[in-house]
Amino acid sequence: MILTTKNLRKEVPSGESNLVILDDITFNLEEGKSLAITGPSGSGKSTLLGLLAGLDTATSGEIVLDGIDLHLLNEEERAILRKDKVGFVFQSFELLPSLTALENVMLPSELKSEDNPRKKGEYFLERVGLSDRQKHYPNQLSGGEQQRVAIARAFACSAKILFADEPTGNLDPKNGKLISDLLFEVNSETDNALVIVTHDQDLASQCDKKIELKLGKIID
Amino acid sequence: MLATLSFKLFMREIRSGYLTSMLLSLVLAVTIVSGISLFTDRLEKVLSSETQEFLGGDLKFESNDTSIKAVLETLNLKDSKSSEMAILASVIFSEEEMQLSSIKAVDNAYPLVGELELKNSSGTYKTTESPTPGNIWMDERLKNLLSLEYGDKIYLGDATFIFEATIIYEPDRGSTNFAFAPKTIMNIEDIDKTNLIQPGSRVEYNYLFTGSDEEISRIRNILEENRNQGDDIESLDEDDSSLGKTIDRSENFFLLGGLIAVLLSACTIGISSQRFARRHVSYVAILKTLGMNLFQIRGLYLLLFLYTTLLTLVLGLTFGWFLQSNFISLMDSYFPTELPAPSLYPLYVTCVTVLICQFGFIYPHISKLLDISPMRVLKNDISFNQNILPIFFMGLLAFLLLLYIYTNQITLSLIIFSGVIIFSFIGIGCIYLLLGKSKLGLGAQDPISLALSELRRRRLSNSFQIFAFTVAIGLSLITFSASKNLLGSWQDSIPENSPNNFAINITKEDKESMKVFLADKDIEVDLFYPVANAQIVRIKDKDDIIDRNFNITWVEDLPGQNAIVEGEWFQEGVDNGISISDEIAERYNLYIDDEIILQMEDGSIETYIQSIRAVNWESFSPNFFVIGHPSLFKEKSSTHITSFFIPEAKQKVAAELMREFRTVSVFSVEELIKQVRDIVNQVTKALNSILLLTCLSALFLAFSALQDGFDQRRHQAAILRTLGATGRFIRTSSLIEFSILGLVSGLLGSAIAQTGVYFIEARVFETIPGFYPEIWFMGPIIGILIVSGLCLYLVNGLMKQSPKDLLKLQT
Repeated sequence: MILTTKNLRKEVPSGESNLVILDDITFNLEEGKSLAITGPSGSGKSTLLGLLAGLDTATSGEIVLDGIDLHLLNEEERAILRKDKVGFVFQSFELLPSLTALENVMLPSELKSEDNPRKKGEYFLERVGLSDRQKHYPNQLSGGEQQRVAIARAFACSAKILFADEPTGNLDPKNGKLISDLLFEVNSETDNALVIVTHDQDLASQCDKKIELKLGKIID
Repeated sequence: MLATLSFKLFMREIRSGYLTSMLLSLVLAVTIVSGISLFTDRLEKVLSSETQEFLGGDLKFESNDTSIKAVLETLNLKDSKSSEMAILASVIFSEEEMQLSSIKAVDNAYPLVGELELKNSSGTYKTTESPTPGNIWMDERLKNLLSLEYGDKIYLGDATFIFEATIIYEPDRGSTNFAFAPKTIMNIEDIDKTNLIQPGSRVEYNYLFTGSDEEISRIRNILEENRNQGDDIESLDEDDSSLGKTIDRSENFFLLGGLIAVLLSACTIGISSQRFARRHVSYVAILKTLGMNLFQIRGLYLLLFLYTTLLTLVLGLTFGWFLQSNFISLMDSYFPTELPAPSLYPLYVTCVTVLICQFGFIYPHISKLLDISPMRVLKNDISFNQNILPIFFMGLLAFLLLLYIYTNQITLSLIIFSGVIIFSFIGIGCIYLLLGKSKLGLGAQDPISLALSELRRRRLSNSFQIFAFTVAIGLSLITFSASKNLLGSWQDSIPENSPNNFAINITKEDKESMKVFLADKDIEVDLFYPVANAQIVRIKDKDDIIDRNFNITWVEDLPGQNAIVEGEWFQEGVDNGISISDEIAERYNLYIDDEIILQMEDGSIETYIQSIRAVNWESFSPNFFVIGHPSLFKEKSSTHITSFFIPEAKQKVAAELMREFRTVSVFSVEELIKQVRDIVNQVTKALNSILLLTCLSALFLAFSALQDGFDQRRHQAAILRTLGATGRFIRTSSLIEFSILGLVSGLLGSAIAQTGVYFIEARVFETIPGFYPEIWFMGPIIGILIVSGLCLYLVNGLMKQSPKDLLKLQT
């Protein structure tokens, strides 16, 4: 299993009491498989994705990612785990505005101190069809193009598992389709696992596995 | 509606804490400006009345004869008063003793200002009247020397008087030369009876005037037109006393410290305003989308800043009042009476400062904000790329205006302004050259590469941060240096055991025996300087007599407290020439090698100007305008002057000395030294408060500049952490980056401080500028510690938040 969760619970303080965002989340994901997390707004999808990717900590419960007990790690250890095993695609792209498209894609390789970040960056930009946009800054790219750069960056991580948070949420249907196809296409070339949070049922249906959340709980 | 909405917006901004740094800086600026201007305003008022008392009026005319009286009778004084006095030296006799005394014969208008404090057998009392004819007042010391009781008869010349009272305090202390002490005051109507004034007698006539500025100016002009050679005119603005200079210099310290703190606050306000505008882009765009017109939006923000202004004025003026009360309580032992109430000027300066800050540093950002297109909301584009140049120039103009308002000197303002600008731009240029073009990638392989890459990548914003840090460090170092070096050298100028007594009128015969007398009492004596009176005439224009008498001395070695500024001190083998002080060189246009004649009582000497000296007049040692080569004066008659330190336990020595040497006058400057020392100590305490406020302003500025840059770094840090950068990695990289920024800013700040201190010493305090190596150590160290320390504080804040929170992922 690449990812296992057991009785995952997340509470946040709200006034004098705590608000339960996620409760009793338990599931598994095999290596190389894809999982869609769906549900209405406010159901806790993105919170769950944040916990699974080690961006946030659960109140209780367990997460095991590629054999590592994520719930036992501190922030520094989680950062190293993210560097080695995790890739991320955000709904709002989250590219660094001061870096060009190529530099944004090179970033994960730089952080890993890999030998030729430029070569890898150019490869993945070419893979998402943006070879001619290497020197463009994010504000010079359309929304669809920015998300393609974000996907190239996620794959440049050489991660074991890729998390995508509403990757088509900010795009029109045509661009959305293009991005989802690209995501699955590039992913199929690797043996990465893929976890996608989405409202888009078409996108969800392309995944090997699907869980639906409602009020912070998995609906069977 | 608009007022309510803007008030709500104001309250929301206050609650959210986003206005905090701008508000704090404004309050700090108002506190400093109002506090210091209130204090200096009250100080000036009390000084003006004290100087008036010291001088004995608003204007003093000194002459060796009464020829001006004919002119004075035609003066037709309207709203002014005048008083006449004659000052001469004579021996006064009691039944058993005799003593040389300085006689001051005053008319019935005396004293024109202030009041005398006297003592008789019934105790002390104050009076605003002169002694009645037939009565005489004298110093306590003279009373003791003459072994007198109140009511005793005393004899002066051919007249007999009744000793009525001793003088505890006389207002016109500046009216008499120290050469004539201890003192006797009598009525001028009695002077003829004494027959003391005969043709050839040395008498100084003083004519004092008080009145409106216009009237004093009119009288001065008439006196200037009718003055003879040797006559002197002195007014309130020419107070050269060490006390006057001390107070004047203290005031300069306060103004300098205040100015620096205000400039720092102004920079912080500028940076905070930029942040404010950036945060309000979407707010303005939404208001426009909802149909609010430009006029309404402008009104909304103007009202918001009106509330801010009112709040800062109320808080700042309150704190300012406490600040000046604190200064006054520190120095109240010096002030003899309750300080006068302040004028409206401090309020005016404070309001103008706030207005300049508002229009120079805040309004340009808000004005730019109003150009935001409503389309920004639809495009979800909240970036705020301002054209920075007009805003920058508005800020610089405001900076210059603040300088001018505070210094009231256009040249000084321009010097400080150009200094700050030139050094900052040199710094920005250096950074550009040093960093070179940015390379491909973020350089995130290791913390050092990332730090260097960030320095290159953010060259523009880094340059402005360096500008802010440089200003903060440089100006704080100037204040620090002022409080330590300038005050230090000032304090050193009155070292412990400075001579506290002067002895004058020492004859050649008495000189040697006096040396023995003082040596027996274990009292070290300074040099015995020969003294004579001379006038200077330029040979190239024999009619051009320098119109005053100078005390002249002749010595082989350059006395301490003197420094040659032009020419050379007397060399071996040369037996001619004189050395003059730089003041008289400047005042009478005298130059090196000018040939001159010294006209003395017993003949003239032809010589030339060999050197020009800077003299430390505040030192408590005998100082001279003119020093000649000894060989020129071999045949000239003179008396001698010396100074020495009498410890408190041996105070009786002075009286014993005067009994032993009847013609010698000894007078003490102990009180004056104590007063000057006290003021220097109190000023140091008060200046430390200013230093604290300056450091606080500098810290605000550094923090605001960093915080501004961190808004952009927050996003980058979140992405880097999401991609696996550890907190340690980001922290180390930021520390390296900001340590370099701090180092560069510190070095530039040191350069600004050294230059600033140079000009302040040379121009403001008129001392000899020095080189201060500690500035060059402190600048970089403070830069690195403060900038990287604040950076660490902000980075740690970022590290406490999860990357998810930083990226604001939706649930």
